[in-house]
Amino acid sequence: MDKRILLVDDEVEVVNFLAHFLKRFKIPTLKATSGEDAIRMYDKDNVSFVFLDIQMGGIDGLTVLKEIKAVNPEAKIMMITGKADTEHQDKAKELGAIDYIIKPLDLVDLKEKIDKYILQG
Amino acid sequence: MKRDYRHDLEKTARQMILVHRVDTLIRLILRTIMKNIRVKHSGIFLYDKYKDEYVIRVSKGRRGIKIPEGFAKIKKDNSLIRYFTDKELSSFDQDFLLYNRINYYLKYSRSKGRSDLVDFLEDLKGQLSLFQAKACIPGFFRNDLIGILFLGAKEGGGVFRPEELGFLSVLASDVVMAIRNAWLFEDLNKQLDKNKKLFLNTVIAFATAIEAKDKYTSGHTERVVKYSLIIADILSKTDPGVSAEFIENLRVAALLHDIGKIGIPEEILNKKGILTGKEREFIFKHPLIGANILSPIGEFKEIIIGIKHHHERYDGKGYPSGLKREETPLIAAIIAVADSYDAMTTDRPYKKALSKDDALKEIKRNSGKQFNPRVVGAFVEAFEGNKI
Repeated sequence: MDKRILLVDDEVEVVNFLAHFLKRFKIPTLKATSGEDAIRMYDKDNVSFVFLDIQMGGIDGLTVLKEIKAVNPEAKIMMITGKADTEHQDKAKELGAIDYIIKPLDLVDLKEKIDKYILQG
Repeated sequence: MKRDYRHDLEKTARQMILVHRVDTLIRLILRTIMKNIRVKHSGIFLYDKYKDEYVIRVSKGRRGIKIPEGFAKIKKDNSLIRYFTDKELSSFDQDFLLYNRINYYLKYSRSKGRSDLVDFLEDLKGQLSLFQAKACIPGFFRNDLIGILFLGAKEGGGVFRPEELGFLSVLASDVVMAIRNAWLFEDLNKQLDKNKKLFLNTVIAFATAIEAKDKYTSGHTERVVKYSLIIADILSKTDPGVSAEFIENLRVAALLHDIGKIGIPEEILNKKGILTGKEREFIFKHPLIGANILSPIGEFKEIIIGIKHHHERYDGKGYPSGLKREETPLIAAIIAVADSYDAMTTDRPYKKALSKDDALKEIKRNSGKQFNPRVVGAFVEAFEGNKI
């Protein structure tokens, strides 16, 4: 796979963990710890999938979602959200997110979503 | 592993008893473990009774391998949980689970033709490799699995030695005991908080009832709270002591500043003429009565001070204690200005209201006499900024 997965979360530990997790399945990644960086780094020729945290300081996840979708309506984006975030989850779906995972997440669920959306793509 | 692990164990056990907050406790435990057994990462799953699942509450380790705290969980039906809790699996060692040992269990199960066990064990291997755990130690309290400690691979490879596993098992049972205590303590505090809130709300209900009794002052309390908070807001810009906590105490004190009037007969409160000496004594008592009502709860100390001293004067001629100048705590000095301003600008049985501007003049005139000059300064600033 030449294209990379873009990981966006303002918690650097989360980004590092996801990168390492995906590396175990031989999936290369790009890391961004802010909405601004994510928008800057997104490039539809280089990025095949995005993991995007909803709650970030600065530019929030939903805005990043909108921006990336504007650049590439086909972009595949999975939101990461906290449990109490249902209104944002619905909004994300509306804005075209492909799915979302809720923290704390079951790693089994994460693996299943990776299988479903990335490894089969 | 260091030879004095026993010493560390005892030291940790002693410290654990002192720690009441669960997160601090398990962080301490993980630190002790990482100090004695060098592994790439470790963490503790703790049972969440509201969601009926196990969440990673604490973790340590190498960048990327370490699972962020609060990020991952395992559900109750996960094979790892079942391994430790399912009675049918008691032929396996349920005191701890070593990843490498699962292959032995698999061999055993295959030889017995137990395909169900084989499936279970394969799944178990998968679970452990998802978060790269090489060893898992359960923490039980009686029959409840409270948590699971997991360790990643040792730095430099190597197996977990019997004395290390022994150390971890002992730690796990001490840990569980201490966590149980911490949970009970947390529950107790929550209950105490609830009781405090109930008490406060009851007192506030009384305050509302009192205001209804005193027909000339409907809305007075609300306005005193409003003015007090506006003054505090301005003061907070230059005074670090005016913190969020101070402001919350001020709000409650302002809300309850006249609660002592419950002890004053209505005829005196609503009297049109001048009060006799005896009648005035009643009025002078109300700050003390108010303070007394709240005295059962120690945490309300600041609030009580605000209520008790809201009639002190800067020149020391106030009541009940005759405090002078800066002796009067700020919380009370603020309420004093807010209370007086509202009294001036509303009709009372014994006098008519002043205009806002005249009332401001009065306040300014009494700066340094009746009122704390710093508070007056903030009040004037608020007035001129059209906030009052």
